[in-house]
Amino acid sequence: MEASLAISDGSVVRSVLSGDVDRYAVLVHRYRDRYARYATRMLGSADAAEDAVQDAFVRAFDQLAQCRDPENFAGWFFLILRNRCFAERRRESRFSPAGVIENGDLAVAAVERTDGPVEDRERRRAVQRALMELTPEQREVFVLKHVDGLSYQEIAERIGGTVASLKMRMHRAYDRLREQLKDEV
Amino acid sequence: MTAYHPLVKLVLDGELSLAELPPDLRAQGEAALRMVAAVDRTPVALPAALETRVMAAVRQRAASPWRRLFRPREVRLRIQPVWALALAAVAIAFFVIPRRYETRSPDLSARVAPESVLVRFVLYAPDAKQVALAGTFNQWNQAATPLVRAGNDGVWTATLSLPVGEHQYAFVVDGRRWVTDPAAPAMDDGFGRRNSVLAVSGRGRAS
Repeated sequence: MEASLAISDGSVVRSVLSGDVDRYAVLVHRYRDRYARYATRMLGSADAAEDAVQDAFVRAFDQLAQCRDPENFAGWFFLILRNRCFAERRRESRFSPAGVIENGDLAVAAVERTDGPVEDRERRRAVQRALMELTPEQREVFVLKHVDGLSYQEIAERIGGTVASLKMRMHRAYDRLREQLKDEV
Repeated sequence: MTAYHPLVKLVLDGELSLAELPPDLRAQGEAALRMVAAVDRTPVALPAALETRVMAAVRQRAASPWRRLFRPREVRLRIQPVWALALAAVAIAFFVIPRRYETRSPDLSARVAPESVLVRFVLYAPDAKQVALAGTFNQWNQAATPLVRAGNDGVWTATLSLPVGEHQYAFVVDGRRWVTDPAAPAMDDGFGRRNSVLAVSGRGRAS
């Protein structure tokens, strides 16, 4: 797999489309983890993120011929994963409000830091629960800015929309988070 | 709703520092920053077994006879000059259209093989310096299928041999403007853009 590092995404995509299906493993290896944190924070657990990333790779393979810019496979793949995350959250919200699972607790990220004082850990859990109460659109902007560290301009380039509309969405998210956390943080 | 003060939101956005807040907002600003700081930013690494599962699913799909039938493939077509001129003449006869970018549905001219059909694409773009065709049949490669200007009337044409099946496409004007075909059905590509759709049947008809 090391030798594959020098091969461009476009070359790999064209090889796969020409029938060399095994070459797709290069793209899977290359981008397996790139958006895993995004998916984990969007869906609330690493298990759900793993399913979403797997489904997104299979869907991307099915639609590979529609990838207009094979050199930007990563950006195209992100949009597929994003759609998958949104669909998952909407599907879940129809069956259980805000990710409530059977034991009455809230679904939160399975990968969780356990270092630091107890108070910090509790705050982290509370913030993660509050994040899951946001709409997927609000949560996405929050995650991209405050977890992935993107600027509003970079977010606009990645998911579309204007900086002004993204800021408005984010500011509503801030208010909802404050409301959710008023008794905890 | 317990809203943050607009200035505190600017602090959260990184556009204002805590010290720039009025004194009576500093406590609110500090609490807001603590909230954002508590977000878990731990990197997430997915198990390597995911790659195995993806590739197993992908190989299974690739082995499907249905997928093999409709897999895009490269088609090399050589058109005799006399036929190219004839096709261009037909296109010019069809297109005297007042709008700036006018297109006609692809014309299926003739069958060239049992599973492929000659399709002529035409775009009326008098101000264009170059026009190309990008679609599922050429992996959306803008350089693969340039259209040729047919005379001085602003009509651009290209004729391709396409395999039977459904194809999506768009015209690319001057390397940057994507133009869908208003005379052909279009579908959302799932990413906020529209692609024209062409269905080529074995009887040489589009739908």
